[in-house]
Parts: sequence; structure tokens; C-alpha cells
Amino acid sequence: MIALLLALGCRPEPEACVPPVVLAASDLQHALTELGELYRQRVGCAPLLSFGSTGAYTSQIEQGARADLFFAANASFIDRLQSQALLHEDSRMVYGTGRLVLVGSAAPPPSLASLTDPGIRYLAIANPEHAPYGLAAQQALQASGLWEEVQPRLVRGENIAQTWQLVQTGNADAGIVALSLVVESTPYTLIDSSLHEPLVQVAAVPRSAEHPQAGRDFLAFVMAPEGRAVLQRYGFGP
Amino acid sequence: MLDLMLRSLLIAGLASLAVVAVGVPFARLLARRRGLWAELLSTLVLLPMILPPTVLGYVLLLLIGRGSPVGQTWEALTGSPLVFTPAAAVLAAFVAALPFLVRAAQSAFEQIDPHFEDVARTLGRTELDIFLRVSIPLARRGIVGGAALAFARAMGEFGATAMIAGSIPGRTQTASLAVYDAVQAGRTADAGLIALLLALLSASILFAVGRTGAR
Repeated sequence: MIALLLALGCRPEPEACVPPVVLAASDLQHALTELGELYRQRVGCAPLLSFGSTGAYTSQIEQGARADLFFAANASFIDRLQSQALLHEDSRMVYGTGRLVLVGSAAPPPSLASLTDPGIRYLAIANPEHAPYGLAAQQALQASGLWEEVQPRLVRGENIAQTWQLVQTGNADAGIVALSLVVESTPYTLIDSSLHEPLVQVAAVPRSAEHPQAGRDFLAFVMAPEGRAVLQRYGFGP
Repeated sequence: MLDLMLRSLLIAGLASLAVVAVGVPFARLLARRRGLWAELLSTLVLLPMILPPTVLGYVLLLLIGRGSPVGQTWEALTGSPLVFTPAAAVLAAFVAALPFLVRAAQSAFEQIDPHFEDVARTLGRTELDIFLRVSIPLARRGIVGGAALAFARAMGEFGATAMIAGSIPGRTQTASLAVYDAVQAGRTADAGLIALLLALLSASILFAVGRTGAR
């Protein structure tokens, strides 16, 4: 009897949901914000989302930044962290494939070749040095033989969201950005994905995580059918 | 590397000159005025210190961008847009650095004994003459100190510059932007070298300014 009472008394409370700290590539801005809200409705706590450049976050994690989950816009950055044993390797998952699109401050340019039109004074891309979409944009321009010609028109955003702002405010006439940022709001021209290395989007839980299980739980939610459907709606390929 | 440093120096130098040219008269004006408008202006000038740099950059992008009246006037006059040019980098550095000079110079002007200026007035000097020959020399230390701070801020300016100057290598990329890009790209050796040069260059200029200004 006493044992039973003790057992009842000690029964742990239904576990409180720990909100995971999430660092994410800025192409996920819209999709992950919606998923975070869904997570709050289903599980009871909203993840703490920060968006920025994948390269910037990779450097920060290398310097010991604490995050429970990291969504990178390209697998190579996850590889870089993994080679330094900074990730829980079994948590690594591909959550989608990114697509590049052409957008314009007026109508979207109909093709990459039309970027050499005299009407296009400035072409915005993300910084190819550390933003995966910027590197892919450079590859696509190179593969089309346009890289040299568009050089004088290039301006570089620090990440893909800022690149999109340069076009949105009308300061760049055209831009190459992530489909996931514009799919719901703007006309765009899809860029043939065979022109660049695939933008394999990978997420993983860093070893620095304070609450690795919270990170894993949120990632599992994103990878479940409901989460995948949201990602798909924002233009992420399988 | 050399041209990166020279470009940074030129952008920060021009911005600092403009800061002194605009900021000193402005500080003098604020120093002796009281009332709602003076207080409002004093506060407004500090805004760039309060706003996060990228927000400041976004605001500037809207204010001087190609869709704005300022941007369109500039484009009509010069034939090319203001954004994404070295001039835009100078403007970003100017806006970010201005508050530092204005605050320092304003309090230096406020501490001048008004009798000196009044004596000059009884001697029949014009207000401009008094400003140049009495007020400025008396406030010199505050002005030089503020100018040094403004220059340091202009050298380090990053967020707004990235936004309205576009970080174009060889054209609008400053040393501060190059350090950031190098860190993000994992080129830590490059980043360290540029940061070291930037620090040495700025420190020696500030030291020289301090020595001559104090005399």
C-alpha cells in the first residue's frame, strides 16, 4: 500500500515541452516559421528560431555556439561540422532540396540569358563565398557561360533573405534567390537544377546542444508527413 | 590587400571629413538652443547609434534607393544609381559616424564660457568669424576627440555598408566587410590578417590625430 502511494506520488509529471533553440538557413524563413507555429499547436511549445547565413552559423557552431538543431542550406557545411565531431551524427537528416529562381523588381526575367539585357543594371545574388544559394547561383551562371558577362552587374547579399530584399526594394533589377522565399508571393522563373550542384538541405543536432532531445523532437516533427507537406508547399523538393 | 586597405581608408576618410564639415556647425547650433525642436534634433542625430546596423542599412536603402526621391535625383544628375557605389559606402559610414562627433562637439561648445564670444561680438566680429576664430579653437579638444571617434566608427562600419553598397569585391568592399566575409567562409587566416592590418592602420591614424590635436 505504502509502496503504491509512493509510486503514485513519485510518478513524474507529464514532461514539460522544452522549446528547442534552432539555427536555420534563411531560405527556411517562411516554411520553418509556419512549422514552428504548427509545432506549438501540436506539442505545446514553440521552437526558438534564428535565421541567417548557413556559413555564418557553421562558423558559430565551430566556435561553440549552443543550438539544439541546425538546418543548413547545403550538406557540405554539415560535412564540415561532422568532420570535426561537432554533431550528433545519428541525428543527421536530409529535409529537402532547394531550388533557385529568377526574380525581378518588375516582371521576372524569363531566362538566365536575359540577364545580359541592358535593362538589368544590377543582379543580386547571395555571397557565393559562404551562402549556398549564392554558390549555386554562381555555378548556374558559369554553366550557362554568363558569369564573366554579368560580373559588372553583380551585387552580393549577405544571405539569401537579404538578397531578396535588394530586389524587393527595387534596387537590384533582378536576383537569383531561393524558391522557398518567394513561392507564395511573387512571380518567378525556375532555374534548371541541372545547372548547379544539388542544394541538398541537411539538418543535424550539434554536440553543443543544451537540450539535444528537444532538437531531435522538432526535427522528427519536420520530417513527419505533416511537416514534409509544409516544406513541399514552400518549394522544397524531396 | 593593399587596395582593400586604401579603399577603406578613402571611404572612412571622406566620410569623416563630411562628418566634421556637417557635424561641427550642427553641434554649435544645438549647443546653445533649448526647447522642443533642439531636443528632438539632438535625439534624432543619435538614432544611428541606437538602430541595429542592418536595420539602419535597410532604412537607408529605402531612403536613398532607386525608388526614392533622393535616389532618383542622384540618378538624374549623375546618370547612375547611388546604391552599390563607393559613394553609398561613404554615405553609410557618414550616417553611422555623425552622432559620435556631434555629441562630443556639442558638449565641448556647451562648456565654452559665453563671455569670450560676447567680447568678440563687442569688438564687431561677425558671427561666422566668431564661430571660426573663437568657438572652434576653444572647443578644439572636443571636436578632435569626436572626429577621432567618428573616424574609428567609419572604419568599422559594416551593417549599413553591406546593405547599401553591396559588398562588391574591388569596388565597394571595405576591410570590415572583407573580415566578415572571410570569417563566414572559414578563411580564418585571411580574416586575422585583414583584422590586424585594419587595427594597426586605424590605431596609428588615431594616435597621430590625438598627438596633433592635443597640441
